[in-house]
Amino acid sequence: MTIKVRFFAQFRELFGTDILTDAPPDGMFISLIAGIAHSNPEGYNAIFDKNGAFLEFVILMKNGKRIDNSDAAATTVADDDDIAVFPPVAGG
Amino acid sequence: MLSPRERGRYMRQLELLDDEGQERLKAAHIFIGGAGGLGSPVAIYLAAAGIGTITIVDRDMVDQTNLNRQILHVDRDIGRDKTASAEEHLRAINPDITVRAINATIRRENAADLVGSANGIVDAMDNFGTRYLLNDIALAHRIPFFHGAVHGFYGQATTIIPDTTACLRCIVPAAPPKETTQVIGATAGVIGSLQATEVIKYLTGRGRLLANRLVLWDGMQAKADEIVVERNPDCPACGDRSPHKRRHT
Ligand SMILES: [Zn+2]
Repeated sequence: MTIKVRFFAQFRELFGTDILTDAPPDGMFISLIAGIAHSNPEGYNAIFDKNGAFLEFVILMKNGKRIDNSDAAATTVADDDDIAVFPPVAGG
Repeated sequence: MLSPRERGRYMRQLELLDDEGQERLKAAHIFIGGAGGLGSPVAIYLAAAGIGTITIVDRDMVDQTNLNRQILHVDRDIGRDKTASAEEHLRAINPDITVRAINATIRRENAADLVGSANGIVDAMDNFGTRYLLNDIALAHRIPFFHGAVHGFYGQATTIIPDTTACLRCIVPAAPPKETTQVIGATAGVIGSLQATEVIKYLTGRGRLLANRLVLWDGMQAKADEIVVERNPDCPACGDRSPHKRRHT
């Protein structure tokens, strides 16, 4: 249980705030988040499109660095990574 | 020079800002895009603090459903233009400042004219389309841009200094889908107060701005987190190949 995944804003209502987890078998960032999201269909659909790619507006961070959504499928995770996943809020 | 009346009005902040800082607020012109949930606390605090000229733009009329959060407007304002009630309220708060309340839709064709000679642009919009437009104007005219947004008990804010920090499109490259959001008025109060604080810090050269930092406020947990952000060299708005960069290099 060495990777920390932090959700923010509306995603907290779907997944909670912080999740400690192990790296997925394939070591991929997208598998890690999909694995968590699968527990909650509504939450899954808030993060992924119907092809299983990250929705374009979802903000992805690894260890304080932005992951471009187009690079997410090729991004790996490892022990001690600090991941953040959140939607921008839009109201005013 | 500050008048005796201004000296009295600002007495409880003059030791924090000094006369020079207060004069800077007085000389400043701040543009606030939106007179809604965020625009209300931003405008109220900036007017009370003595920002010399406030331009506030909105296109809507006051609706009863606005009143849980849009504290510039009160029950008797229902049906009036938001700019009319905003102007009346802000003038009542501080008769020593100039309030320009403009009833207009912010569009690409008029945005630069509406912003005019403002020293700062406050994002109090409810959609990313107009936010991106104001971000472009801020970049093109090198005007600081104070971003804020809210949803429910959640909010976010950052301060964008053109050519120095990440811009709004670096941070939020794609807009979330439009929705009619639930908002607790006090959440807009938290974020709007952050934005107003940033404006005052920027104008008076005090403190450490929310530059390259996105604050994420969670009112449910009563917790603020900070995400470090950075310029994206490929950003369509401020990146090396953007129209903004091409224009300035
Ligand atoms: Zn940018």
